[in-house]
Amino acid sequence: MTPLVVAENLSKHFPARRMFGRGRPVQAVSGVSLTVGRGEAVGLVGESGSGKSTIGRLMLGLLEPSAGRVVIDGTDLGATDADSLRRLRRRMQLVFQDPYSSLDPRRTVGAQIADGLAIHRIVPSGERRARVEALLARVGMTPAHADRYPHEFSGGQRQRVGIARALATGPEFLVADEPVSALDVSVQAQVLALLADLRRRLGLAMLFISHDLPVVRSICDRTVVLYLGRIMEEGPAGEVFERPRHPYTKALLSASPTLDPARRRRRILLPGDPPSPADPPSGCVFRTRCPWVAPVCAGAAPPLRELAAGHFVACVRADALGPVPDAPNGSVSQQ
Amino acid sequence: MLFVLKRIGVSVLLVWVVATIVFLAIRMVPGDPATILLSQGGVAPDPAAVAQLRIQLGLNQPLGMQYVADMHRLLVGDLGQSLQDQTPVAGEILRRLPRTLELIGAAAVLAVLLGLPAGLLAAIRRGGAFDRIASWLAAVALAVPIFVVGTLMVAIFAQGLHWAPAGGYVSFARHPLRHLELLAMPAATIAIGLAAILFRMTRAAVLDVSMRDYIRTARAKGVAPRRILARHVLRNALMPIVTVLALNLGSLLGGTVLVEYVFNWPGLSGLLVDAVNARDYPEVQGVVLVISVLFVALNLVVDLLYALLDPRVRHG
Amino acid sequence: MQRLRPGPVVAVGTIAFLALLVPLFGLDNPLHMDIAHRLAQPTLAHPLGQDAYGRDVLARLLWGARVSLAVASSSSALACLVGTALGLAGGFLRGPVEFLALRGMDVVLCFPPLLLALLVVTLLGPGAPTLIPLLAVLYLPGFVRVVYAGVLSVRTQDYVEAMRSLGAGRLRIMLGTILPNVGGPVLVQFSIAAASAVVLESGLSFLGLGVVPPAPSWGLMIGEARATMMQAPLLLLWPCLALSVTILALNALCDALRDAVDPHGITRRRRHGGLLDRLAPGLLPAPGAALELAGLTIAIDTPSGPIHPVRDVSLRVMPHETLALVGESGSGKSLTGLATMGLLPPIARVAGGAAWIEGRDVLRLDEAALRRLRGATVAMIFQDPLSSLNPVQRIATQIGEAVQAHARSPAKATWRRAVELLRHVGIPDPERRAHNFPHEMSGGMRQRAMIAMAIANQPRLLIADEPTTALDVTIQAQVLELLAALRRESGMALIFITHSLPVVAEIADRVAVMYAGEIVEQGRVAEVFARPLHPYTAALLASVPREDGSLAEAIPGTVPPPYALPPGCAFAPRCRFARADCSSGTLALTEVMAERLTRCRRWSDLA
Repeated sequence: MTPLVVAENLSKHFPARRMFGRGRPVQAVSGVSLTVGRGEAVGLVGESGSGKSTIGRLMLGLLEPSAGRVVIDGTDLGATDADSLRRLRRRMQLVFQDPYSSLDPRRTVGAQIADGLAIHRIVPSGERRARVEALLARVGMTPAHADRYPHEFSGGQRQRVGIARALATGPEFLVADEPVSALDVSVQAQVLALLADLRRRLGLAMLFISHDLPVVRSICDRTVVLYLGRIMEEGPAGEVFERPRHPYTKALLSASPTLDPARRRRRILLPGDPPSPADPPSGCVFRTRCPWVAPVCAGAAPPLRELAAGHFVACVRADALGPVPDAPNGSVSQQ
Repeated sequence: MLFVLKRIGVSVLLVWVVATIVFLAIRMVPGDPATILLSQGGVAPDPAAVAQLRIQLGLNQPLGMQYVADMHRLLVGDLGQSLQDQTPVAGEILRRLPRTLELIGAAAVLAVLLGLPAGLLAAIRRGGAFDRIASWLAAVALAVPIFVVGTLMVAIFAQGLHWAPAGGYVSFARHPLRHLELLAMPAATIAIGLAAILFRMTRAAVLDVSMRDYIRTARAKGVAPRRILARHVLRNALMPIVTVLALNLGSLLGGTVLVEYVFNWPGLSGLLVDAVNARDYPEVQGVVLVISVLFVALNLVVDLLYALLDPRVRHG
Repeated sequence: MQRLRPGPVVAVGTIAFLALLVPLFGLDNPLHMDIAHRLAQPTLAHPLGQDAYGRDVLARLLWGARVSLAVASSSSALACLVGTALGLAGGFLRGPVEFLALRGMDVVLCFPPLLLALLVVTLLGPGAPTLIPLLAVLYLPGFVRVVYAGVLSVRTQDYVEAMRSLGAGRLRIMLGTILPNVGGPVLVQFSIAAASAVVLESGLSFLGLGVVPPAPSWGLMIGEARATMMQAPLLLLWPCLALSVTILALNALCDALRDAVDPHGITRRRRHGGLLDRLAPGLLPAPGAALELAGLTIAIDTPSGPIHPVRDVSLRVMPHETLALVGESGSGKSLTGLATMGLLPPIARVAGGAAWIEGRDVLRLDEAALRRLRGATVAMIFQDPLSSLNPVQRIATQIGEAVQAHARSPAKATWRRAVELLRHVGIPDPERRAHNFPHEMSGGMRQRAMIAMAIANQPRLLIADEPTTALDVTIQAQVLELLAALRRESGMALIFITHSLPVVAEIADRVAVMYAGEIVEQGRVAEVFARPLHPYTAALLASVPREDGSLAEAIPGTVPPPYALPPGCAFAPRCRFARADCSSGTLALTEVMAERLTRCRRWSDLA
């Protein structure tokens, strides 16, 4: 069975918008191929500038790729006309990071949830109210909430409204762009539980974008690790988490703080900042900060190789990584 | 450097656009421009005079030729001849321009001396008596149109109290004291409104900057309040103030027209009003062009000043 | 949108009302001349007297209002309609429409308004038919720019992308979502345009180039009255007054609309605590503590009485120690840190308690003494290093300022010290970086620079308010490492304010957990995390994303806001251990085991 969403060799370059002088174009995404199966949750992990949000927008056809294509259930998004694309939107939806800017401050949340119903004429206008109330109930809110304005709600409640709005059209594919990173920890868990529950009950395919590895692991089947717009590693969520093969994934995991003293790893401290996406290094883009860097890394960009079943790594040295070397890049600290 | 060159380039382009519009304006009016200019009170003008004017304005040549000739004349500084007395417009403008600039300069200095410190003080003592009184005064000053201020000044200080002459002009070289006496009221008239704008903007900008995180950082470092005000608040508050000043340059230049008229100050604007009344198009065209160029140049200065103040603009 | 102040609306409404209804007042014909009674004094028939042509001044004044307002409102309405359409189309469609709309406006703006008006009047002659389109063109750029800027800022909002992603068409997004959200600024712009149209119309009429005589117009009346200024000064006064009052009312309406559309917080002056509070000495501090907070309470005065976002916070930090202050948003952790520095925002004030640093209660120090303390003995770093650094100063200047604030230091030596500090916090190539402005550095580097600034005078206590929250994980690791190293080598105490429990586990020795303005639990990190003694701590720990892939447990409900705190234990409504008696009485933070404090009656049930 073919996956629901297939992205092939996606690239997205943004022209450098500078007031004066010419800048280099920003290569937000370079040659990313990705699939999301029906009912599957794929986690997209990366730090700022990794291109993860751009990929989310590309997969929904909200941005046009500079190269490559996105196919949803057999339909190539780039090859459809504007009207069909608009009709197709019913089947794919987006949940935003910022629960404050994602809702129109001047309209009631009920009206905003009803937008999707009206645009696609899903239910006659007389039944819309009932459907809105049912959607609110589904995300754990009450019918009376429909008549309130966004500013009357807390961040977590707003995020629930955003999810209800996305669910209104009955989508099969949901892109969740950092849906919990603006929320407090205790509320984060509420929203994650809601998303996990909806996915199970509605059989939603989901692209879950996050910078938080443990969150991704708890909600996703598969994990894709991005660095500077390229895929570094891809595999089953638990596998990538327990047995990371790419140096960047190893460093990322070791850098994320953990509660569990038993899991506290030897921390790999990456030196400096990620390079600018307008001027990425040649060869492997991670080599300037990689503790295991070798001369071979400056050559061609390493392709994704399948090291274990379904576990892909873009590192030429992935088979031969020993313990963290002290030179030439970075330092290691003992916790 | 690139920034400066680019900005100058834009200004030159704008001047060219202005010149083109002024050129086109008279030719876009329905009907024959010469006839329109010579029509007074609905009386049909003498056909011979119309023909004469058409030749003088070059209207009997093709439009493209007229345009090229016009732009060429402008490049060498020839603004044509007045319809009233056939004297070169450029000469008359050059004679009057310094007087207008003097008026604006004096007004700007007065306004800055009055508005900036008052705004700063009002912001520091926000909600206090000075703040309330000054804010109220500024609101009133902004509400009274400039020609009303001028007219009332003449009525009260010249006609009523005889403190100052009602208007007129004597060159500084001839009679320095009298010159300054005549300058005082028109300059003050322009300064009042400008000072009110500056006051409000300074107050708002200083209050806004005081709330910023980096002011908290400076306080967290233990920096003395006076230094925080001088090095952090004022420097950052100057940017919005300069912007507002730039936005108001247009109405300032326009305002001088009315003020020169009220006080009989023989600057550019007086020339303009007379020319408009006499429908002396070459003269109107010349003055509008010169003042617009002045306006564009002042905006350029403000933009460069802005870049000087804010490193983020420089790097674009 | 805030409520609109009624005063200006009533004033403008009254003027408009008078202008509209003037034909019903039975006044004299404003054009009727009566040369016999030129400049006549006021009579019953002519309450304001007669002008140089014997016309009734009151009638001319009121009819003049009609002319002024008609010209102003119709030209503004025209400009508003066209400008909004252009701005909307330019901002939303982009491309050539955008270019034409914006550049076209730049060209209009090349001319000072009155000048352009004079140029047009020369060609087309004076009169209302020239005036209205002319003024409309002059105010067009204002509308185009306001709408365009609004569209640009609104179109980047997620809710517009949400509409796109729902499949809404362009027209629906433009009219249904974007237009209502730029409506406020357009309204403000309309009032600005109307006010300046009144000014410009009267100015042109004054020069005899606006409204054509003998039609009544204020500007014309002032111009005419100038000739008879000596004989009849009142003739000058009335139109001047009418014009100024109208513009004053319109300006006030502009301000009121602007305030309503763009609300600024009401800020109050800072007040000090009550007399009794100032006299009562705090508990004596523990010897040697870098900071001892005792019963810190912070109040914010609101129209409905004071609220207390921080209540009874007591804690102690020893040299060499890192104390984490952990809590969710609204828990009062940042306010606690700011109060310790004497940096509370103007709306908040210390309502009780003491903060001992080096044997002095900093809450009772005057500003000058506080200033000597800040940046020297106690330093602070903040969450957002970009907004916390002055955008127009070089980085080394800002660091040097911290040095110079507390010691005399020549400029050159200060700069060298700043470079040295930059090197100390691990900034590569510090000599070059010293010349950078904040926007030229990365987020991680800016936070390092902030830290350099904070340690410039070897403080005994560093308060770090969410210093890594805005940073990426790998950069966060660098900064945590740096802070730990600095603390080790200098022996300073560190208060680390954060919302992240894993970060606490990485960096802190002891932890104080805050909920709804109170510390609910305090103790050594390892012990608290292994065996929490407050249900909130336990629930918070359970809500942290698990590393084993299982889903975290949520805490039901939301944090109560400080103006609606439940009685008794603030956490009781969300607590699964709560019983009826939890919602009454007051609870104190009690030491229930050695160095373990909790604010819970049921703590033994958890164990």
